[in-house]
Amino acid sequence: MTWRQRPDFSEPPSCPLPVSDSTALLLLAMFVLFVLSVPKYDLAGVIAFAAIPSLLVTAAGIPFAPIMKRLFIASPFILFMAAGNLLLDRAPFHSLFDLTITGGMISAAVIVTKTMVTLTALLSLLSCIPFHRFGTALRSIGVPEVFVTQLLLVYRYSFLLTEEAGMMQKARDLRSFGGKGNGPIVTARLIGSLLIRTTSRAERIYMAMCARGFTAALQSRPAAPLTIRDKAALALSLIMFICLRLIF
Amino acid sequence: MHMADALLSPVVGGAFWAVSAGMIGWSAKKISNEADGSKTVLMGVLGAFVFAAQMINFTIPGTGSSGHLGGGLLLTVLLGPWRAFITLASVLVIQALFFADGGLLALGCNIFNMAFLPSFIAWPFIYRTIAGVSSSQARIAAGSISAATAGLLMGAMSVVLQTTLSAISDLPFSTFILFMLPIHLAIGIVEGVVTWGVLTFVARNEPALLAGSAKPSRIRMVATGLVILAMATGGVLSWFASSYPDGLEWSMAKTSGKEELSSTEEPLHAILASAQERLAFLPDYDFRNKSKMTEETNASPSPVNVGTSLSGLLGSFLVLLLAGSTGFLLRKRAAETAHS
Repeated sequence: MTWRQRPDFSEPPSCPLPVSDSTALLLLAMFVLFVLSVPKYDLAGVIAFAAIPSLLVTAAGIPFAPIMKRLFIASPFILFMAAGNLLLDRAPFHSLFDLTITGGMISAAVIVTKTMVTLTALLSLLSCIPFHRFGTALRSIGVPEVFVTQLLLVYRYSFLLTEEAGMMQKARDLRSFGGKGNGPIVTARLIGSLLIRTTSRAERIYMAMCARGFTAALQSRPAAPLTIRDKAALALSLIMFICLRLIF
Repeated sequence: MHMADALLSPVVGGAFWAVSAGMIGWSAKKISNEADGSKTVLMGVLGAFVFAAQMINFTIPGTGSSGHLGGGLLLTVLLGPWRAFITLASVLVIQALFFADGGLLALGCNIFNMAFLPSFIAWPFIYRTIAGVSSSQARIAAGSISAATAGLLMGAMSVVLQTTLSAISDLPFSTFILFMLPIHLAIGIVEGVVTWGVLTFVARNEPALLAGSAKPSRIRMVATGLVILAMATGGVLSWFASSYPDGLEWSMAKTSGKEELSSTEEPLHAILASAQERLAFLPDYDFRNKSKMTEETNASPSPVNVGTSLSGLLGSFLVLLLAGSTGFLLRKRAAETAHS
């Protein structure tokens, strides 16, 4: 990750979901499990599941370009593994006119399509849920309070520290000529300096939070249990996913 | 190296999810017992620090490429294993859910590979054993480099195992491991050097931050030595194990003419034999397919066998786990008896 590729921590716009956020996360987990249970050579089975993220992206009006950009960044390892299948499995699978389609071509396509389908579903759903709502949803499905507080703090302070790290890197780059000073030893001192600043910042933040009544947990909203509507949505989705797996 | 959803079977992904979720629950319980609000904030801010530090790239000497700090070992030295594990897991959750690094099912594997292994294996068994609370530059350097390298190599090995067990990729285990280990060896050494540099800088400017590192006990050092010895024996010396029959097989061959008795035709025997055949994931201390192939071709001139190494390593781990669990249960029982 370079300075120019720095993560965008900006809060996503809130989209209304027909179910609670915790149910949406459970549905996502269920969806991913079903997609990954599709056999190695069943391309049609994976494509059938692509209907669900497509529906989510179009219905919620989520811009597709940022999702594609993230998929592109995440893809090198997957492409390498898919290329392995392409090269190693040369057993003929189908014949289309004069073209022989090998098992490796199918299994490589399945790996790439599974990645696209699951990551698009993940990114599009998470772009509908702002981070504070995500924390509440995690509490509702029983994630320990310590872990939720940790996630909220990491997310909140990532804005500040990435900005600071970016400025430090820029300052170092402006002072280095011919690549001198960009090595691991100088960078280690830079990171050490950022670490010391970070810990003193943590002390100041803790004192400010104590003054505002902080007691080791960030409890913004109480966890909401699943309603009948949520349970019905989970049951219906389960039936739909089973039907998709059986039909395609 | 983030594991990806599409390379995992639901069973392997689910199993690692269960392990990682269990470890998060256990670590959260441990931390909750301490109830130190200042450390809660410190963990949060250090998690954000890992994000930020990963943006500061450095040139890797002699390669022309650049890299960044992983931060697993550094956080464990600063926070201890429980808090570092929770912090690293939270960073991985944000990376998976908001930056598509890996995926949702692969999150369990990624937490295991990049948070559990550095926090609970590399730090206590390697870094703490070598560096301890010493301020010696040589010991900190040796501890950082060896622990960071071992942590990354274990993570890479784990990625290969998870991929092989899922059976989605056609890459053979030996090819995949030969591709992964040298790269991660190089990355690990650089990670170790940067971690050492950061620790040295902190030790000079803010030594109080490193006060949490505890001195390893003598028992821990002996245990570490024994674990390394067991790994070396199971992983490497097993290649040179004799292929001649053992004492029992030799006696059987002398008395009945066969090394193994043929099973009776009883249905219970057949069911148990079939169950064993299905459950044994490394039959005859080798990979299932490879053992068949070797039987067919009857040609394996090289003693170096990845399947045998893996069997040895897994066997050592399982025995360690079983012996440790039995000891733990016996100790618990003894304590209960003493109380009553």
